[in-house]
Amino acid sequence: MSLERKDDHDHKGWMESRELTTLESIYLTTLLWLDKRLRIVDYLELLEDLYYKVNMQMPKSHTEQYNLDNKFWYWYPLYALGSFSTISYIVAAISGALLGFYYAPAAAASDGTATVAYESVQLIMGELNLGYLLRSIHRWSAQVMVAAVFLHMLRVYFTGAYKEPREVNWIIGIVLISLTLVFGYTGYLLPWSQLSYWAGQIGVEMALSIPLIGEWVAQLMFGGFTLSQSTLQRMYILHVFFLPFITTAIIAVHIGIVWMQGIAEPH
Amino acid sequence: MTDEQSVDADTDQDRDVVVPLRMYKTVTVFSTLFAVVGVVGGFVLVDRATERATLPASEIDPIVALAGIGLIVFGAVVYAFSTRFRTEEMGKSKDDAAEDSGNG
Repeated sequence: MSLERKDDHDHKGWMESRELTTLESIYLTTLLWLDKRLRIVDYLELLEDLYYKVNMQMPKSHTEQYNLDNKFWYWYPLYALGSFSTISYIVAAISGALLGFYYAPAAAASDGTATVAYESVQLIMGELNLGYLLRSIHRWSAQVMVAAVFLHMLRVYFTGAYKEPREVNWIIGIVLISLTLVFGYTGYLLPWSQLSYWAGQIGVEMALSIPLIGEWVAQLMFGGFTLSQSTLQRMYILHVFFLPFITTAIIAVHIGIVWMQGIAEPH
Repeated sequence: MTDEQSVDADTDQDRDVVVPLRMYKTVTVFSTLFAVVGVVGGFVLVDRATERATLPASEIDPIVALAGIGLIVFGAVVYAFSTRFRTEEMGKSKDDAAEDSGNG
């Protein structure tokens, strides 16, 4: 690929050989003049070339392989849900990293009224330039991700894409949807608002309700049987350290397996 | 349509000019660019001249407002003009005579 001009077409001679009106000649001459200088079309052709070369590396889907696209194309939007989940995950990661510059996971009251965590969220929402936008993007992308992941699971189930030889990827997908929900839950607790606090209380009680290991789970996940600074701290580190590494790695494996096995044909 | 008949001028209304592929790309890319810049820029100018449609009619800046409307019209005309050009093997979109896509 290069930007060497390989087009030797004699546009001028061509134009003279045609019966063009004056306006058409002026129009085409102007556009060709611009084309020669701005070379947008050349760059677009480069991109087009790149696109096809990358596409050649992709596995063929079964609908392509057996020429079923003419019967199947209206199901394609549902096949975008996996990409959609990944994109919303990336958006959440970027906006979350930016939010991390302003959020502090401290359950201590700074001046006897609100906690540091809650106040930092209020700062983001009320005073920080574009902070409202930033947190809204983070929250919406999280909501979209949960919805998209769930719908993706339905698509995989109802098209039978989980069947042999793709069982392992289905199991990995179940792990991923669970991790997504844990992501959502830990993030929900971070503002340390009334909603967060009582959602945390419910979490502790759910953990405690587990037979035999309940108390141990509550200690491990929530740092005790009542909510405290260690609860918030754990949710924070889970949300911004453990889950991102684990989830990103598993998503990579999940997509890698799809790459290797190809898109499943509908059963 | 052979190369000889590349200008089809039965009536002035459906004038149809077949151009080489590379020139067709130029026409498409630049006319779309002009149309988008013209229409969006025109609306920006109209918005600015009328302070987002809040000014009373007497306070509207006529030059900027007319320039905005002119820009919108210019973009639309460039785009409409570009539709007479097509390249070999393309159906005439205006006559709806393209071959079946075979989809569905």
